[in-house]
Amino acid sequence: MDIKATLASQLYSQVQAVAKPVPQDAPVRNAGEAFRTAATDFMETLRQGEETAKLGLAGRADPQAVVEALAATELAVQTAVAVRDKVVEAYQEILRMPV
Amino acid sequence: MSDLERTMAASASGMAAQAARIRLTTENIANADTPGYRRKTVSFEETFDRTRDTRAVATGPVELDRSELERIYDPGNPLAGADGSYLGSNVDLVIEIADAREANRSYEANLKMFDQARQMASSLLGLLRR
Repeated sequence: MDIKATLASQLYSQVQAVAKPVPQDAPVRNAGEAFRTAATDFMETLRQGEETAKLGLAGRADPQAVVEALAATELAVQTAVAVRDKVVEAYQEILRMPV
Repeated sequence: MSDLERTMAASASGMAAQAARIRLTTENIANADTPGYRRKTVSFEETFDRTRDTRAVATGPVELDRSELERIYDPGNPLAGADGSYLGSNVDLVIEIADAREANRSYEANLKMFDQARQMASSLLGLLRR
Protein backbone atom coordinates (compact mmCIF):
# COMPACT_ATOMS: atom_id res chain seq x y z
CA MET A 1 0.00 0.00 0.00
CA ASP A 2 1.33 3.41 -0.95
CA ILE A 3 1.07 6.09 1.69
CA LYS A 4 2.11 9.61 0.77
CA ALA A 5 3.95 11.59 3.41
CA THR A 6 1.79 14.68 2.80
CA LEU A 7 -1.42 12.71 3.16
CA ALA A 8 -0.15 11.15 6.37
CA SER A 9 0.79 14.49 7.88
CA GLN A 10 -2.56 15.98 6.84
CA LEU A 11 -4.46 13.11 8.51
CA TYR A 12 -2.27 13.44 11.56
CA SER A 13 -3.13 17.12 11.95
CA GLN A 14 -6.84 16.24 11.69
CA VAL A 15 -6.46 13.65 14.41
CA GLN A 16 -4.95 16.23 16.69
CA ALA A 17 -7.99 18.46 16.23
CA VAL A 18 -10.40 15.61 17.00
CA ALA A 19 -8.47 14.15 19.92
CA LYS A 20 -7.96 17.44 21.70
CA PRO A 21 -8.14 16.87 25.43
CA VAL A 22 -11.38 18.18 26.86
CA PRO A 23 -11.03 19.46 30.41
CA GLN A 24 -13.07 17.16 32.61
CA ASP A 25 -14.03 17.71 36.22
CA ALA A 26 -13.89 21.44 35.70
CA PRO A 27 -13.57 23.24 39.03
CA VAL A 28 -16.90 24.14 40.53
CA ARG A 29 -17.43 27.86 40.15
CA ASN A 30 -20.19 28.88 42.50
CA ALA A 31 -22.00 27.58 45.56
CA GLY A 32 -25.16 26.71 43.60
CA GLU A 33 -23.21 24.41 41.34
CA ALA A 34 -21.58 22.74 44.33
CA PHE A 35 -24.96 22.20 45.98
CA ARG A 36 -26.33 20.71 42.79
CA THR A 37 -23.41 18.27 42.56
CA ALA A 38 -23.84 17.30 46.21
CA ALA A 39 -27.58 16.77 45.75
CA THR A 40 -27.02 14.61 42.67
CA ASP A 41 -24.46 12.49 44.53
CA PHE A 42 -26.87 12.16 47.42
CA MET A 43 -29.70 10.99 45.17
CA GLU A 44 -27.41 8.53 43.43
CA THR A 45 -26.32 7.04 46.78
CA LEU A 46 -29.95 6.76 47.88
CA ARG A 47 -30.94 5.12 44.63
CA GLN A 48 -28.12 2.58 44.85
CA GLY A 49 -29.02 1.81 48.46
CA GLU A 50 -32.64 1.15 47.56
CA GLU A 51 -31.64 -0.97 44.58
CA THR A 52 -29.29 -3.12 46.65
CA ALA A 53 -31.83 -3.45 49.47
CA LYS A 54 -34.43 -4.64 46.97
CA LEU A 55 -32.01 -7.20 45.54
CA GLY A 56 -31.12 -8.29 49.07
CA LEU A 57 -34.76 -8.84 49.99
CA ALA A 58 -35.15 -10.94 46.86
CA GLY A 59 -32.08 -12.91 47.92
CA ARG A 60 -30.03 -11.89 44.90
CA ALA A 61 -27.42 -9.69 46.63
CA ASP A 62 -25.14 -10.89 49.40
CA PRO A 63 -25.92 -9.50 52.86
CA GLN A 64 -22.57 -7.72 53.11
CA ALA A 65 -23.37 -5.62 50.04
CA VAL A 66 -26.80 -4.77 51.46
CA VAL A 67 -25.32 -3.67 54.78
CA GLU A 68 -22.67 -1.62 53.00
CA ALA A 69 -25.20 0.13 50.76
CA LEU A 70 -27.53 0.83 53.67
CA ALA A 71 -24.67 2.23 55.77
CA ALA A 72 -23.67 4.51 52.87
CA THR A 73 -27.31 5.62 52.54
CA GLU A 74 -27.53 6.30 56.27
CA LEU A 75 -24.41 8.45 56.13
CA ALA A 76 -25.69 10.36 53.11
CA VAL A 77 -29.01 11.06 54.82
CA GLN A 78 -27.23 12.16 58.00
CA THR A 79 -25.07 14.54 55.98
CA ALA A 80 -28.05 15.98 54.14
CA VAL A 81 -30.03 16.48 57.35
CA ALA A 82 -27.07 18.12 59.10
CA VAL A 83 -26.51 20.54 56.20
CA ARG A 84 -30.23 21.36 55.99
CA ASP A 85 -30.36 22.05 59.71
CA LYS A 86 -27.42 24.43 59.37
CA VAL A 87 -29.06 26.24 56.47
CA VAL A 88 -32.38 26.61 58.31
CA GLU A 89 -30.55 27.82 61.39
CA ALA A 90 -28.72 30.47 59.39
CA TYR A 91 -32.01 31.59 57.80
CA GLN A 92 -33.69 31.94 61.18
CA GLU A 93 -30.68 33.85 62.42
CA ILE A 94 -31.20 36.36 59.59
CA LEU A 95 -34.94 36.63 60.34
CA ARG A 96 -34.22 37.47 63.96
CA MET A 97 -31.98 40.35 62.93
CA PRO A 98 -33.30 43.67 64.34
CA VAL A 99 -34.27 46.06 61.55
CA MET B 1 -16.49 8.83 47.59
CA SER B 2 -14.79 9.60 50.84
CA ASP B 3 -12.08 7.51 52.50
CA LEU B 4 -14.46 6.30 55.17
CA GLU B 5 -16.95 5.07 52.57
CA ARG B 6 -14.10 3.30 50.77
CA THR B 7 -13.12 1.71 54.07
CA MET B 8 -16.62 0.39 54.43
CA ALA B 9 -16.61 -0.97 50.88
CA ALA B 10 -13.27 -2.71 51.44
CA SER B 11 -14.33 -4.31 54.70
CA ALA B 12 -17.61 -5.43 53.12
CA SER B 13 -15.61 -7.14 50.37
CA GLY B 14 -13.45 -8.78 53.05
CA MET B 15 -16.55 -10.09 54.75
CA ALA B 16 -17.89 -11.44 51.46
CA ALA B 17 -14.56 -13.20 50.78
CA GLN B 18 -14.51 -14.79 54.24
CA ALA B 19 -18.13 -15.87 53.78
CA ALA B 20 -17.14 -17.64 50.55
CA ARG B 21 -14.22 -19.28 52.36
CA ILE B 22 -16.35 -20.60 55.21
CA ARG B 23 -18.87 -21.91 52.69
CA LEU B 24 -16.16 -23.98 50.99
CA THR B 25 -14.88 -25.20 54.37
CA THR B 26 -18.39 -26.30 55.26
CA GLU B 27 -18.73 -28.10 51.93
CA ASN B 28 -15.47 -29.93 52.68
CA ILE B 29 -16.68 -30.95 56.12
CA ALA B 30 -20.04 -32.07 54.71
CA ASN B 31 -18.25 -34.23 52.15
CA ALA B 32 -15.61 -35.62 54.54
CA ASP B 33 -17.05 -39.13 54.13
CA THR B 34 -17.77 -38.94 50.38
CA PRO B 35 -15.62 -41.48 48.51
CA GLY B 36 -13.27 -39.84 46.01
CA TYR B 37 -13.99 -36.27 47.21
CA ARG B 38 -11.10 -33.81 47.02
CA ARG B 39 -11.16 -30.86 49.38
CA LYS B 40 -11.75 -27.44 47.81
CA THR B 41 -9.46 -24.51 48.49
CA VAL B 42 -9.74 -20.90 47.43
CA SER B 43 -7.18 -18.11 47.16
CA PHE B 44 -7.73 -14.41 47.77
CA GLU B 45 -6.84 -11.68 45.28
CA GLU B 46 -6.66 -7.91 45.52
CA THR B 47 -9.11 -6.14 43.21
CA PHE B 48 -9.33 -2.55 42.04
CA ASP B 49 -12.71 -0.96 41.38
CA ARG B 50 -11.93 1.87 38.96
CA THR B 51 -15.33 3.58 39.13
CA ARG B 52 -15.33 3.79 42.91
CA ASP B 53 -11.52 4.03 43.30
CA THR B 54 -11.61 1.24 45.85
CA ARG B 55 -9.12 -1.51 46.49
CA ALA B 56 -10.71 -4.59 47.92
CA VAL B 57 -10.40 -8.35 48.10
CA ALA B 58 -12.09 -11.04 46.08
CA THR B 59 -11.91 -14.81 46.03
CA GLY B 60 -10.00 -16.38 43.18
CA PRO B 61 -10.92 -19.58 41.35
CA VAL B 62 -11.81 -22.62 43.47
CA GLU B 63 -9.10 -25.27 43.30
CA LEU B 64 -9.05 -28.90 44.33
CA ASP B 65 -6.47 -30.22 46.75
CA ARG B 66 -4.30 -32.63 44.77
CA SER B 67 -2.96 -34.54 47.76
CA GLU B 68 -3.54 -38.30 47.83
CA LEU B 69 -6.94 -39.69 48.72
CA GLU B 70 -7.19 -41.77 51.87
CA ARG B 71 -7.40 -45.53 51.25
CA ILE B 72 -10.00 -47.08 53.55
CA TYR B 73 -10.05 -50.82 54.21
CA ASP B 74 -13.65 -52.04 54.20
CA PRO B 75 -14.28 -55.29 52.28
CA GLY B 76 -18.05 -55.08 52.90
CA ASN B 77 -18.34 -51.78 51.03
CA PRO B 78 -19.76 -52.09 47.46
CA LEU B 79 -17.04 -49.69 46.23
CA ALA B 80 -14.22 -51.88 47.59
CA GLY B 81 -11.85 -53.34 45.00
CA ALA B 82 -10.03 -56.68 44.94
CA ASP B 83 -7.85 -55.75 47.93
CA GLY B 84 -10.92 -54.92 50.03
CA SER B 85 -10.31 -51.17 50.17
CA TYR B 86 -11.65 -48.03 48.47
CA LEU B 87 -10.54 -44.42 48.11
CA GLY B 88 -12.13 -42.01 50.58
CA SER B 89 -11.83 -38.20 50.61
CA ASN B 90 -8.67 -36.23 51.41
CA VAL B 91 -10.49 -33.97 53.88
CA ASP B 92 -8.75 -33.58 57.23
CA LEU B 93 -11.31 -32.39 59.75
CA VAL B 94 -8.67 -30.76 61.96
CA ILE B 95 -7.47 -28.59 59.07
CA GLU B 96 -11.03 -27.70 58.09
CA ILE B 97 -11.98 -26.68 61.62
CA ALA B 98 -8.82 -24.57 61.95
CA ASP B 99 -9.67 -22.95 58.60
CA ALA B 100 -13.23 -22.25 59.73
CA ARG B 101 -11.97 -20.69 62.94
CA GLU B 102 -9.59 -18.46 60.99
CA ALA B 103 -12.36 -17.38 58.59
CA ASN B 104 -14.53 -16.57 61.57
CA ARG B 105 -11.84 -14.39 63.15
CA SER B 106 -11.10 -12.57 59.87
CA TYR B 107 -14.81 -11.93 59.40
CA GLU B 108 -15.02 -10.45 62.88
CA ALA B 109 -11.99 -8.24 62.17
CA ASN B 110 -13.61 -6.91 58.98
CA LEU B 111 -16.87 -6.36 60.81
CA LYS B 112 -15.06 -4.40 63.48
CA MET B 113 -13.36 -2.18 60.89
CA PHE B 114 -16.70 -1.58 59.16
CA ASP B 115 -18.29 -0.52 62.43
CA GLN B 116 -15.27 1.64 63.24
CA ALA B 117 -15.47 3.54 59.95
CA ARG B 118 -19.22 4.02 60.35
CA GLN B 119 -18.84 5.36 63.85
CA MET B 120 -16.06 7.73 62.76
CA ALA B 121 -18.18 9.15 59.93
CA SER B 122 -21.21 9.40 62.19
CA SER B 123 -19.40 11.21 64.98
CA LEU B 124 -17.88 13.64 62.46
CA LEU B 125 -21.38 14.56 61.31
CA GLY B 126 -22.41 14.84 64.95
CA LEU B 127 -20.16 17.89 65.17
CA LEU B 128 -22.50 19.78 62.83
CA ARG B 129 -25.47 19.11 65.07
CA ARG B 130 -24.17 21.01 68.08
